[in-house]
Amino acid sequence: MSASDTAAIRLEHLSFTYADQAEPALRDISLAVGRGEMIAVMGATGAGKTTLAKCLNRSVPAFQPGRLSGEIHIFGQQLQDEGVADMAGIVGLVSQDFEAQLFATNVVQEVVFGMEQLGVAPAEMKRRAPQALAAVGLQGFEQRDPATLSGGEKQRLAIAATLALQPRIFVFDEPTTDLDPLGKLEIFAVLSALRRQGFTLIVIEHEIAAAEQADRLIVMNAGRIVCDDSAVKVLRRATFLQGHGVRPPDRSRIAEALRLSPPPTTFAETEAAIRARRGSVPVGEPAPSRQTPCRRDEAALIEATDISFGYDSAAAALKNVSLRLAAGEFVALIGQNGSGKTTLAKHLNGLLRPRSGRVTLSGTDLGALTMSSVAAEIGYVFQNPDHQIFAATVAEEIAFGPKNFGVAAGELTERIDDALEAVGIRGLEDADPFLLAKGQRQRLAVASILAMRPRFLILDEPTTGLDYDEQRRMMDLLARLHSQGMAVLIITHSPWVVAEYAERGVLMSGGRVLFDGSLRSLLAEEALLARAHFQAPEVTRLGRQFGFTPLSVEEFSRRLSAVKSSPTSRTQ
Amino acid sequence: MSLFLYIDHPTALHRLNPIVKVLGMLCFFVAAFVTQAPAAALPVAVAMCGLITAARAWRNVWRLRVLFVMVFIMTFIIWTLFFRGGVPFFSWGPLHVSTAALRFALGMAIKLDTFLGVGIVFLSTTKIEEFAYALTRVGMPYKLGFTMTLAFRLVPVFLDSAATVVQAQRCRGFNFDEGNLLQRMRRYVPVIVPVFMGALRRADGMAMALEARGFQANTQRSTFEHFTFRRSDALALLMAIAVAVAYVVLASLGYTSVPAV
Repeated sequence: MSASDTAAIRLEHLSFTYADQAEPALRDISLAVGRGEMIAVMGATGAGKTTLAKCLNRSVPAFQPGRLSGEIHIFGQQLQDEGVADMAGIVGLVSQDFEAQLFATNVVQEVVFGMEQLGVAPAEMKRRAPQALAAVGLQGFEQRDPATLSGGEKQRLAIAATLALQPRIFVFDEPTTDLDPLGKLEIFAVLSALRRQGFTLIVIEHEIAAAEQADRLIVMNAGRIVCDDSAVKVLRRATFLQGHGVRPPDRSRIAEALRLSPPPTTFAETEAAIRARRGSVPVGEPAPSRQTPCRRDEAALIEATDISFGYDSAAAALKNVSLRLAAGEFVALIGQNGSGKTTLAKHLNGLLRPRSGRVTLSGTDLGALTMSSVAAEIGYVFQNPDHQIFAATVAEEIAFGPKNFGVAAGELTERIDDALEAVGIRGLEDADPFLLAKGQRQRLAVASILAMRPRFLILDEPTTGLDYDEQRRMMDLLARLHSQGMAVLIITHSPWVVAEYAERGVLMSGGRVLFDGSLRSLLAEEALLARAHFQAPEVTRLGRQFGFTPLSVEEFSRRLSAVKSSPTSRTQ
Repeated sequence: MSLFLYIDHPTALHRLNPIVKVLGMLCFFVAAFVTQAPAAALPVAVAMCGLITAARAWRNVWRLRVLFVMVFIMTFIIWTLFFRGGVPFFSWGPLHVSTAALRFALGMAIKLDTFLGVGIVFLSTTKIEEFAYALTRVGMPYKLGFTMTLAFRLVPVFLDSAATVVQAQRCRGFNFDEGNLLQRMRRYVPVIVPVFMGALRRADGMAMALEARGFQANTQRSTFEHFTFRRSDALALLMAIAVAVAYVVLASLGYTSVPAV
């Protein structure tokens, strides 16, 4: 048996250039993946990760033509002109967009769909279908309509449907990007089960949790593999990862900042290493710095009083919720999908009207105001920028809002300029919005709301689907607007975004507000957060072991360094 | 919101072979179609009520009650006014109302509600996949049947996306209640473009995902749900055919029509 036969996947000098692009998406990739190995792939948007995934099941070049060179060997067989469908029982590809991967009207039909296409005998289908559903924990869901499932359940169903085809190789392209924290955990559990069963797994993922399970971690940049080593080793290289647009684990940044050696690889090891290095560790909360307590004393800009709402008569989406928001605040609204966050946010600008209770804007009941007069005061940026982008140019897109309010031509130009400047896309005025990158489209959506000059900005998951650098840019933009006096409310699932940017945290669960207070106090409420399946950033949890609640790695390291230089001093 | 009327109950009607369900539905359509007189239409309507009960589908009738009532009332009014023939007992301008017209209109109203009711029985007891299966078995190409299934799944998705787009544009001061028809149509561009682009993007993603699951593979396709043709299927089909034949015969002998006198 030759060496190549032992590899599940072997790529030799693989390069690919999309037909409509000048620069190659993949440049000379050589890679061997052993049978039963789990490989995590990380890197910034545009690094070539998805192209690589698609090459493995031939969607590239079948669906997106271009120039392919080099060789792809699957279990020793070189791919020639196989179609995507020919790869179905060999390489299973599960992508981020679970909605586009479901075709049937009930769960069992979904799982057997692929088997029917491949002509699997009915008796065999009856055997495999329950197995596949059991493997992803969807027993008992057989007759459910996929449309009624949660995001995590939909993605697990897509996995089960692929699993039923019995591929020996699974390729996951950002399987958890569109999921809430609980949904992500569900998928990671499925990944580790697949791994135990001996599947060969390639997992493209921004979440560290996937890399932590993997044997190897590959980092890609501009179409090349810039690093391919044991996941444990690569994850320690915080500065390196950041340099390639990957958010490293907090512990690695801490270890680098505090020069811990040997570098710890787990949470517990990090804690032990810090304890071992110093006799005494800081206790108690540091002085409030950038984080100010929530401004309850100020007059409310928006005030929701005892509001309740339901989309249909059966279930209530909001149950007696009250929320006061003052000018100039930065609020994070967190909680599981279905906890009522978006429903609440849509009440704050009058998109939805409460069944009972009232919402006021500067004291006036929203029911007495027109939608457009509210929109001028409270900007609302939807989660998906593609739900609003329609114009032929970026400038026209931004102009749409102000024009609706009758802003005159001279001022309009000024507003467009200001909005472009604010979000950092100046120079793209005449670009076609549909051709912009996801991060730019997201910022364009913000610009088109800013041009209406609102006093309050609500954003639904502004960082979802963006890579680390784009997320930073988006959040820094919001921080800048906030420092200029804009009140900001974000709905998010991202722990570090919440910790590093918000001042105040509102935690929702089951249509109720579980907690509303300063962010630091929220992140200290471990039991409450656990109930809502929200995990504080690793650095915060690490700090809690030492009796304080740091919001960023910088704060944590600064505090420990301060202790080191003068062990007796206590920050007040 | 769900467009599906299918209700998962273990009734005898649910268990019928999908082909029998399609043919049975057609038989009832034929029977209803050839009748005019209310007295002739009533037995089919009563049978339909029996089927709804057997299928445990009254829930769906209740869901669509407005449709039933509207169809009944509108049909009755229109045919009362526009039925040609009979001796009018009331005239107003070009409008004449006769006893024959009233009978005909009542028959039509019962007939159309029967169409609706039989359709509901079918949709309440038949999964979309079964429907597609039956259609492919009677000669429709597989891809066409599958496309139909997919359409059923996607319509709610697109409605949902359109609703979100409208909300997103309302947040930018978009107001679509102003102006004349042409202005309104133009005003819808900010809604139509994102929905359309979203649909294209989704179609792209779906095409790729479909093939990744083996769609269009060159192997012979198999079906998971194996539908046998049992004695109950034969019995049901015979009964349905008997009803259709009886009605066609009665109609051809003129027993089911409304005499224009």
